[in-house]
Amino acid sequence: MEQTFDLPDSTDWLDTPLSLVAPLESSLRCQVCKDFFDNPVITSCSHTFCSLCIRRCLSTEGKCPACRSPDQELKLRRNWAVQELVEAFQNARASVLDLARKAAAAAKESESEEGVTEPVTKKRKVQAEGADNGGAAPEGVRTRSRARGANPHVDRVAVEVIDDTTDEEYVPEDGLVACPICSRRMKNEAVFRHLDSCNGAGAPAPPKPVSFGSLQPMSPASRKTVDLTNKPLERLPIINYSLLKDNVLRKKLKDLGIPNTGPRPILQRRHTEWMNLWNANCDSRNPKLKRELLRELDIWERTQGGHAQQSGDTVDGVMRKDFDAAAWSTSHDDDFKRLIANARKKKDAAMRPKTPEAPAPASQPDSLPILEATEATVPTHSQPPEPLPVESSAVSIAEHEVPVLQETCDSKMANAHG
Amino acid sequence: MFATKLERPPPPGITIVKSDNLEEWQMDIQVLDSNPLYLNQIYRLKFTFSNKYPIEPPEVQFIELAPTTETPRPIPIHPHIYSNGIICLDLLSSAGWSPVQTVESVCMSIQSMLTANSRDERPPGDKDFVSYNRRRPRDINFFYDDDNV
Repeated sequence: MEQTFDLPDSTDWLDTPLSLVAPLESSLRCQVCKDFFDNPVITSCSHTFCSLCIRRCLSTEGKCPACRSPDQELKLRRNWAVQELVEAFQNARASVLDLARKAAAAAKESESEEGVTEPVTKKRKVQAEGADNGGAAPEGVRTRSRARGANPHVDRVAVEVIDDTTDEEYVPEDGLVACPICSRRMKNEAVFRHLDSCNGAGAPAPPKPVSFGSLQPMSPASRKTVDLTNKPLERLPIINYSLLKDNVLRKKLKDLGIPNTGPRPILQRRHTEWMNLWNANCDSRNPKLKRELLRELDIWERTQGGHAQQSGDTVDGVMRKDFDAAAWSTSHDDDFKRLIANARKKKDAAMRPKTPEAPAPASQPDSLPILEATEATVPTHSQPPEPLPVESSAVSIAEHEVPVLQETCDSKMANAHG
Repeated sequence: MFATKLERPPPPGITIVKSDNLEEWQMDIQVLDSNPLYLNQIYRLKFTFSNKYPIEPPEVQFIELAPTTETPRPIPIHPHIYSNGIICLDLLSSAGWSPVQTVESVCMSIQSMLTANSRDERPPGDKDFVSYNRRRPRDINFFYDDDNV
């Protein structure tokens, strides 16, 4: 749990002189997962999310999470400008933040004389500890070397970015061509033969081996797959599950190479998740191997899928095969009785519309759709009936009141017994 | 720590009481204007996150701490807040929820729901609901969403 304190977050900038970077970083983060955009895609309403995040949202709700306009995953388009922004920002982040924090620390130290080595924040302390190799030189002199010590990798990468633009086009004039997999240079005609046997490993370092890495912060393994397959991954189509019989769906899952066991709802959710993982991976510039996706599906399975039943899913619990109808009826016995009683009352009331318990549908046209029977029991309004003030579209008050549950409870009861 | 659910620092009137795990958080909220119904009161909200958060809404309800304790936390009076702390807010139902919401935005919505209220009353049928209800808010949400009576 301790590491969670070190999660990079846009608020890291707030205590530094660069507090204005915080909103910049926020805008490079997905509103759903709050992390940096991962394979950003843009919706038809022009909102950008991680490919996987928006796919999960759309397959649950079919609406854009930001503006709630309906959208389809087919309309998602990659947003490569954003992807490049995120990568560039992430490359620069550590060193810029470090610099900003040092500036903040220096300012603080000059303010208070006694604060000799007191770190400003907890996070800073962690970094400083890792980097401190003893020397007690004055802060100003040490800054540079300490920054490198603290995070040599990121620092190195960030520096390399600078002369990167030219490096990518850099070709040594030796009349040879580079193997697209291992980058070994060889004669033009030798490449195709070499490709058959190239495993990408053991290649001697190309002249500028790092020129590539800084813009592609993926593992070498995943980078390789792009070149190996070299053809665009095929996206999985949405399935209308209601058209498929159990065994057809099971076969489909099997053909896809994913587990095909478990009750029907799990099969469907597993397929949806796989489709989302797969199609999001198709949006990646550096697609992962199927093996990695399967591992992700397995994590999903353990946290939200078939192996996570006990923790969630009280809602569709009645749909489960192992649903304990007897226990359900016992534990909800009171509710059922009350609902039946309520329903009778309501029916009686409907027959004698002038009784005090009668529904008063037209009396309060702007009121919330509260169950009529109870609404009538509200004391006559001391104030004129007015719609509840609503601050913003996001803050609308619930449309339906709880007594309404009688209708659906009845249907739930039917489920339970059926 | 706050990376996924809350921007730091929280806005005025909202404080984190407990956020040491990813299943349950507690927040204290206050109404900042001079609404006499809520003046000088602090209320405690409990957030329960399922493993589908943020695709699915967290379960949010007020919890009560007795007036005798060091930090008394009553249940605010409101025509959409039951006396057992359950809140009737469509933002918290799966139909009204959006994954872009955060703990902070939910707290602010509830703050403004209180601020805007002038009626010193509980929802209709509060007594019945409170004595009969044994469900968790999430399951009740399911019921209202599903029906447009």
